[in-house]
Amino acid sequence: MSILAVQAEPGEFPEIRLDDLFEFPAILFDGTVFAFNRMGLLYLLAAGITIALMLGAFLNAKVVPGRFQSAMEAIVELIRNNIVLEVIGPKGLRYVPLLGSMFLFILVGNLFGITPFINMPANGRMAMPAFLAIVTWTVFIAAGIRAHGLRYFKNALIPSGVPLPILFLLVPIELVSTFVVRPLTLAVRLFANMMAGHILLAVAFLATNAFLIDVNAGFTDAHFFVNGALSVMGILTLLGSVALIGFELLVSVLQAYIFTILTAVYIASSVEEAH
Amino acid sequence: MDPIIVDPVDLTPLAQALVYGLAAIGPALGIGYLVGKAIESMARQPETAGMLRTTMFLGIAFVEALALFGFVLAFII
Amino acid sequence: MDPIIVAVEDAGGAYGVILPAPGELLWGAVAFTIVFVILSKLAFPALGRVLDDRAAAIQGKMEEADAKLVEAEEARRSYEASVADARGEANRIIEDAKVTAEQLRADILTRAEAEATSMLERAQADISAERDRALQELRTQVGALSVELASRIVERELDTATHQTLVDEYIQQLSSQN
Repeated sequence: MSILAVQAEPGEFPEIRLDDLFEFPAILFDGTVFAFNRMGLLYLLAAGITIALMLGAFLNAKVVPGRFQSAMEAIVELIRNNIVLEVIGPKGLRYVPLLGSMFLFILVGNLFGITPFINMPANGRMAMPAFLAIVTWTVFIAAGIRAHGLRYFKNALIPSGVPLPILFLLVPIELVSTFVVRPLTLAVRLFANMMAGHILLAVAFLATNAFLIDVNAGFTDAHFFVNGALSVMGILTLLGSVALIGFELLVSVLQAYIFTILTAVYIASSVEEAH
Repeated sequence: MDPIIVDPVDLTPLAQALVYGLAAIGPALGIGYLVGKAIESMARQPETAGMLRTTMFLGIAFVEALALFGFVLAFII
Repeated sequence: MDPIIVAVEDAGGAYGVILPAPGELLWGAVAFTIVFVILSKLAFPALGRVLDDRAAAIQGKMEEADAKLVEAEEARRSYEASVADARGEANRIIEDAKVTAEQLRADILTRAEAEATSMLERAQADISAERDRALQELRTQVGALSVELASRIVERELDTATHQTLVDEYIQQLSSQN
């Protein structure tokens, strides 16, 4: 008897569909644009946890920090020194709150993928990465206009010192790569990594379940060796799923870092002087 | 003569796998080369590591875009 | 055997995975906006304040330490000065004592010399007085003896030899007496 919603005949492998993994019926406001489903719940939960972490650490911050405050300060220092100051420079300090919020929010959302009883990364659906990419897109264009005025678009599109005929080729490429590909890849990179991780975990968990319980149950009598072989396979997939959880932890942190540092890189490329 | 009835096989999953797999080859080699070169340069001139890392991430973002197009395309097919 | 994962066959489903669902996009936007607004209005300013406080505290501590250092330096300098003073004082006292002792020695010497001189003089005076007195006495005795001797000579009627003998005898007697 399977403990999962995915049912299979005894002796059969379960067929998992993407729909089963990534389809969340609305809880509230079904059929409207306000449709609130499990993902909406996860977003609000991630927001709550992020806010609780930061406010818990810094609202009653002490001059001599405790362990928790030190840990949160280390994260903010990472954003401030290793991302903002190194990539944008001192004039980028005003983006620290934005990048810090992004990093923590993405990290918490990603870690939901390996949190027991949640098991769904908040960024494993396109909505959240897409929105964050739109934020990045808006911010780096706004930063460019703020620094250079409308000359920003000229700087971004027309590289200096290029002969006119090549400009006909270069300007469309620059236009697409800066204003279309950047946000698109930003969103898809985060989404694809988290979705792939979710699929990997789901396959490992379901395969373990199938090998140890469902398929095993199909060979009840006189199939001792078949049962034994299936159990060994099940144990291997179980160990594999444990390793995958560690890998997902790494990917979660890495993707949050990459999203944040790429946002910083894009802002820096908008702000810096034309050359 | 009776027509030969061929059981139709849906090749979409194969196409999807091939699209993503082929799209990933180039970026995989590119990112490997890029990061390797970046690390080489950082080891040679550690004082420029910050600038190199930034440029490296920018380059990775450019190269990886191709693989991500493949990923998107695999779902759209 | 079926593949473990098959993509959804109808086109809408495939786009459904890639395209963001409007509801999720909306709630995601709400969630991130809340996070950004609250963190940038509350958490990051609070962090900035505590970092400023910490910087100020460290600055204050360092200044305090600097002040302490200056103070200690001053204390050391005044201590050294007082030690030097004391050493000078001691030297002065020793010099004084030496001078005093020298003076004292000279005084004592002078006084002793004077005393010795006066004692010598007094002794010489005594001696000369004694001699004078002895001479005086001798003269008196010589007179008396001469008178006695003369009376004896007169009494006996002696010749010159006898006379001489008598005188010699007498002088002999005197010298053996004395």
